[in-house]
Amino acid sequence: MFQSRSEYDRGVNVFSPEGRIFQVEYAIEAIKLGSTAVGIQTKEGVCLAVERRITSPLMIPSSIEKIVEIDDHIGCAMSGLIADSRILIDHARVEAQSHWFTFNEKMSIESVTQSVSNLALSFGEYDRKSMSRPFGVAILMAGVDENGDSVLLHMDPSGTYLKYGAKAIGAGSEGAQATLEEQYHKSMTLDDGIKLCLNVLKQVMEEKISSTNIEVGVCRKSEEKPGKFHLLGKDAIDTLLTTL
Amino acid sequence: MAVLVDEGYQTHPTVQHRFFPYAQNGGTVVAVAGEDFSVVGCDTRLSEGYSILSRDVSKVRKMTKSGLLGCVGFHGDVLTLTKMLDAKMKQYKHTHGKDMSCEAMAQMLSSTLYYRRFFPYWVYNMVAGIDNNGKGCVFSYDPVGSYERETYRACGSASAIIQPLLDNQLGYKNQSNANPAPLTRDRVRTMVRDIFAAASERDIYTGDEVEISVIDANGIDTQRFPLRSD
Amino acid sequence: MAGMYTTHMHLPRMVDMKEKVAEFWQEEASLSQPRKHTLQPIVTGTSVLGIKCRDGVVVAADTLGSYGSLARFRDISRLMKVNDSTIIGGFGDYADFQFIMKLLEQQTIDDNVVGDGVYRDAPSIHNWLRCVLYNRRSKMNPLWNTIVVAGRDFAGKPYLGYVDKIGVSFTDKSVATGFGSYIAQPMMRKAMEENPNMSVEEAKRLMERCLKVLFYRDCRSLNRFQIGVVTETESSISDPISAETDWSIGANPSGYE
Repeated sequence: MFQSRSEYDRGVNVFSPEGRIFQVEYAIEAIKLGSTAVGIQTKEGVCLAVERRITSPLMIPSSIEKIVEIDDHIGCAMSGLIADSRILIDHARVEAQSHWFTFNEKMSIESVTQSVSNLALSFGEYDRKSMSRPFGVAILMAGVDENGDSVLLHMDPSGTYLKYGAKAIGAGSEGAQATLEEQYHKSMTLDDGIKLCLNVLKQVMEEKISSTNIEVGVCRKSEEKPGKFHLLGKDAIDTLLTTL
Repeated sequence: MAVLVDEGYQTHPTVQHRFFPYAQNGGTVVAVAGEDFSVVGCDTRLSEGYSILSRDVSKVRKMTKSGLLGCVGFHGDVLTLTKMLDAKMKQYKHTHGKDMSCEAMAQMLSSTLYYRRFFPYWVYNMVAGIDNNGKGCVFSYDPVGSYERETYRACGSASAIIQPLLDNQLGYKNQSNANPAPLTRDRVRTMVRDIFAAASERDIYTGDEVEISVIDANGIDTQRFPLRSD
Repeated sequence: MAGMYTTHMHLPRMVDMKEKVAEFWQEEASLSQPRKHTLQPIVTGTSVLGIKCRDGVVVAADTLGSYGSLARFRDISRLMKVNDSTIIGGFGDYADFQFIMKLLEQQTIDDNVVGDGVYRDAPSIHNWLRCVLYNRRSKMNPLWNTIVVAGRDFAGKPYLGYVDKIGVSFTDKSVATGFGSYIAQPMMRKAMEENPNMSVEEAKRLMERCLKVLFYRDCRSLNRFQIGVVTETESSISDPISAETDWSIGANPSGYE
């Protein structure tokens, strides 16, 4: 296996004879080093949860941000090279606002993801300012569309994005995805979804789960409005953890 | 203005005609929003000066299955603007996988017009259709993109003589014993037809034929009626 | 957004724009450099007439190129055969029209090089001309022409279009430019009303009549003209025809005739 890889893993825009682009595959490998992130979509809304890896007691845990808001109605969780994700996030935010500016409506989650995907795929282009290598990050884009549909999308460094009911990415993703596949069902409530997220995280995390070493974001659909994305506070997470 | 022309003659005594990149090609649009429908009327005359360029030019376009756009003013810009919008609507459909709503179209038109703030499209626009909630909607514009949602509006060459009539008949302004009854499709259609017949008596830039479209959940129903042709 | 009696925040008026344009040329003039823009037409052609009939389209123009009031060139052709489906006629500055003809000739050559036997139909040429003229007006550097496009579309249906120097464009059953829009257009409209199913021959005779009246009334016209015909199969432009004139009718005209 390694022999055939020897030359073809140098360039980002060179296929190997087997039809692979190794740099993209390596980037996907990089995600598996990242902290675990989980997302669940229910009829009532969507939720995201990620692990914060606190590597030193001197570190200030709240400075790790792996769930961010894209627009009022969209949140995004990430795993991998977080610095890379900032570029994608900035792009998504600008696109969402520009859509609102031009069309006076909220950009759909899929359209935001599509535009992020376009950026993620534009690496290695000579003719404009772009990344020289693939973005080493996977994202979970979640929110509630203007028409009331809640959506969870996963995008990887190849720019491929797919809709999911429940999805885990990062170091613990294999175990986490297995649990999700066992326990997730379409008709579950959002509250059950949040609990499932936390349970899955608890299972795969090396540290003991607490309100300091995880982040939780929720977008709940409401009657009148499309729903607002927000991060849960420390107290709210503590309350949730006691119910596990 | 007079001063500018004088100075022009001093520097270039032979230049008599300055190129002016606009023309007033006339035309009037009237739009009315009902509860679950809207109506747009537009004449089909195209004029320049005292000449009638054509008696049969439709100035209302179907943009989506429930949205119409009426444009009058400088016909060169009308053609360019509507082509641009058509292209933008198609792009929107391809990127977002859905038809543009009337509200989205309204905002997009405003931005499109404002991008040309300092060399404007000399077009008076009117968007009419059914909104996201199934209600009739009318949006009216000035040439640089300022717009508002209204229940009725006249724009174009006969707007000044039609708007006060609409204020009275549909806004119940200056009526002592107003009895506002809900609008029906037939009443609005007849009213728009009469309004155009009346406007074509007084405004030389309105005439030949009026094209009236009624938009509702079932689609768009368009009819034409003759007007004065002189 | 405001209530119904509020006017829009900014209503630009035609006069505002006229001032803006005046200022623009004011600046241009102060540069005291050679003029690169057409500010006014120099050698001009007068009316072009076009009419759609049962089995084709007829277009006509006289052969005069005027230099102001001087009848400078008495044998220039203002009709051009673009290809077998289209003839155009040019009104206004003749140099600009020659430039447009050059562009179209090159386009036809390019079509020929492809060699698939496919040529532009009249609607496509009409639209292309509109783009050219509108773009030039948007650069404040117009091509000073009104162009009549006579021909047929790919389905073989007669087509008659009009486009002017600022990009105003439309199609109609009959079109006329310049002086012709005042004198010939009413005659053509009347004739079409009386005979909606005109044949090419009848349309040609109508054109001759209109051109003769124009010659009597339009001081920038000539009694020497060409008539172009586009039918289902071909397009052709006649050699210049001289109309016989009789100025003795001046004593007792009826209407314009």
